[in-house]
Amino acid sequence: MTESFSGANDSVGRASASEPPDDGVWGREPPEENRVPDPSKDEIEGTSATSAEAPATRQRRGPMERYVESVLGRMGGGSGAGKALRKVFPSHFSFLWGEVALYCFVVLLATGTYLTLFYEGSQSEVVYDGSYEPLRGTEMSAAYASTLSISLDVKGGLLIRQMHHWAALVFVGAIALHMARVFFTGAFRKPREINWVVGVLLLILSLAAGFTGYSLPDDLLSGTGLRITHAIILAIPFVGERTTYLLFGGEWPGTDIIGRLYPVHILLIPALIVALLGLHLGLVWRQKHTQFKGPGRTERNVVGEQVWPSFAMKSIGLMFMTAGVITAMGALFHVNAVWLYGPYDTAAATSYSQPDWYIGFLEGSVRILPPWETRIGGFMINHLVFSAILIPGAIFGALLVVPWIERRFTKDDAEHHLLDRPRDAPIRTATGAAAIAFVSVLFLGGSQDVIAGTLNISIGHVTTLLQVGALVAPPVTWYVTYRLCRVLADRPGAERTERGGAVRRDSSGGYHSVADPSTDPDGANGDAESETGTPGRDVAHASRSSETTT
Amino acid sequence: MSGGPENVRAARAATIAFAAATVGGIAAAVGYATDNTGDLLGLGLAVALTGIGFGFVAWAKYLDLNEYVQQAREPLAVTAADREVFAEERALTDETLGRRRLLLALSGAALLSLVAGFVGPIGSLGPKPRGERDRTAWRQGSRLVTSEGVPVDAASDGFDQLVTVFPEGAVGRDDSQVVLLRVRPDLLSERTVEQGAVEGWVAYSKICTHAGCSVGLFGIDDRPPDVIRQLVCPCHQSVFDPVDAAKPVGGPATRSLPQLPLGIDADGNLVATDAFDGPVGPLAWDEA
Repeated sequence: MTESFSGANDSVGRASASEPPDDGVWGREPPEENRVPDPSKDEIEGTSATSAEAPATRQRRGPMERYVESVLGRMGGGSGAGKALRKVFPSHFSFLWGEVALYCFVVLLATGTYLTLFYEGSQSEVVYDGSYEPLRGTEMSAAYASTLSISLDVKGGLLIRQMHHWAALVFVGAIALHMARVFFTGAFRKPREINWVVGVLLLILSLAAGFTGYSLPDDLLSGTGLRITHAIILAIPFVGERTTYLLFGGEWPGTDIIGRLYPVHILLIPALIVALLGLHLGLVWRQKHTQFKGPGRTERNVVGEQVWPSFAMKSIGLMFMTAGVITAMGALFHVNAVWLYGPYDTAAATSYSQPDWYIGFLEGSVRILPPWETRIGGFMINHLVFSAILIPGAIFGALLVVPWIERRFTKDDAEHHLLDRPRDAPIRTATGAAAIAFVSVLFLGGSQDVIAGTLNISIGHVTTLLQVGALVAPPVTWYVTYRLCRVLADRPGAERTERGGAVRRDSSGGYHSVADPSTDPDGANGDAESETGTPGRDVAHASRSSETTT
Repeated sequence: MSGGPENVRAARAATIAFAAATVGGIAAAVGYATDNTGDLLGLGLAVALTGIGFGFVAWAKYLDLNEYVQQAREPLAVTAADREVFAEERALTDETLGRRRLLLALSGAALLSLVAGFVGPIGSLGPKPRGERDRTAWRQGSRLVTSEGVPVDAASDGFDQLVTVFPEGAVGRDDSQVVLLRVRPDLLSERTVEQGAVEGWVAYSKICTHAGCSVGLFGIDDRPPDVIRQLVCPCHQSVFDPVDAAKPVGGPATRSLPQLPLGIDADGNLVATDAFDGPVGPLAWDEA
């Protein structure tokens, strides 16, 4: 085992050494001697770029080497592949959210494919004769019957269905956190404006995927959601009524909508997500990832771990862990137990009916906006136009133009690869926090009946409170966040985002920080190092630094 | 190089993780084979997946790979040379393609006509609205029946009980669902009586005028000083006043529930004395 490991480490050292010197073009590079390369491996620098294998293995080429070389030899991609494997990605826990979202999508594709093998996207009437006693003999759509069958009769089907649902919930959550990270660190600034827009479109698509999938079981709860959607589309001026007829194949409820949502959910939206995801990741690859400020990190470089094997192993590990957690959720927690809701019946609706969490803000908007309706001549702009079209439209519209709004205020046209800490840009951070406060109030509004029931106060009072909250919370949040940023910005600690040096306890019991030279190539912490970096205090540390900076 | 104590710990962690993952995978297989799909299958798979993931990360930590490799960023900005190439290509394009303006215009028109040509098939997705929304199944003289098809005897004691009714022959039809309620006649407002209450019976369209959910909740708040009756939509908590023409008194709804005028036929059963006079439920912008 140890042998293969040291082989892997060789490639790291070599890779660092064979990086082209990055001074000269850029004036502000750290001096040569502060760079990471390992001079002990200098002799490899002369080898041609196509040799992805270590010299030792080149002499005895196994089937793997021969295979790789034969493929690359036909694509002319030898040096490119080597370069790709050695590409550097900075690491920070907040960079993981996007990866979690990506891996949720992988889980969604895998579990979703399984579900399509059993699901029947049709509203044709059937009489249920499956194993769930309470609904036996009930008339229902084939869609609902097949969902019951997946849940209760297909062995292991419920697990896969619940994994799919949980993965969708986590997917949108991870996207939201990823987006918040990108926003609050200013990662959307030049040159990444396009990728921000692609990301917002991916968010919208993920919501559309969630909503269409949620509607497919054709249970009472999702049917109610579709009915509300119908009313929202109906309210659109000029085209509303015609559009509902096109979507639903005639007057509500019709017999077509489930069969139409199905291909949209399993083909159209996933295809668009895959396409935009490719663009999203391609742009990240091309533009290189942003990094937090820290010793040795500049606008002209990227400091982190290489794709192979370090980043790849951890990322693949994250993929399996994401899938593992989703599987555990699917095994342990019921989600959307549609057999309890019963089939969709247009004359029924249940109280305490909430959509999936990511539609909560829209539900809240529809619930707590005061009963406004405008009549012009014989025409009417009704409540739903405001609450379900204009408010969400404003939210997503604002998200789309975030990079350009900021540029208008800051007049900053420079490229940024170093991230801000949120406190470094108090106005941006405060504005983002205010927006989150507003959306959070709407989200609470989406379950105002549950809040009222739990606290045993009247729904009307809760609604009024939330209406006031929607107006008051954003400015208050803005001010508090702004002040907080100002206070924090006055504190020292730019290096806190950096992984600090190891802390060691000496024989007398005292603790000392041991600055890690590999994090500190430009000697910014030179003083601290001379104070605490007593030689010989930490064997493991010393061996590591000898490998990277000798 | 793998000498440090942390690294040994990471190696041990990876070993345990991969071993646990293997056990988990086998447990999942056993779970399926023994019909234990509720717990053993899912949890076994979860352990297998998480174990593999944790194992890889621990393995990477054990390798103690260099996390501080520097790489230069290639400049992204367009250089003067690039700009020159674009300008040349642009000039070449103008010279070659731009010379044939007619062809350019015609090719544009051809592509546009293609778009126009494909609008038609989109129209096949649904018929044009022909006023179906203005008509429900209610007619003058329609008997009110419950969802079981039973007519409602006007003499029955249905005080303060909400019943969902349909016109006879159209049970379950979506746009014709109606809530029926009986209260003491003197509670009803004047206009409610004028619009067709009979012997304390009132009937309203069950479809919420806000977003179309079924207004299925009826509540009586009998705390002093007044007894308040409310029809509530469970979706967005719109509240309607059943004793005053179902006018909206709370929540986001802006319009009253349409009232169905009632009468009593020769057999003593409740009937509609007229149809609704327009679309029920949420409206399109020109239906107000």
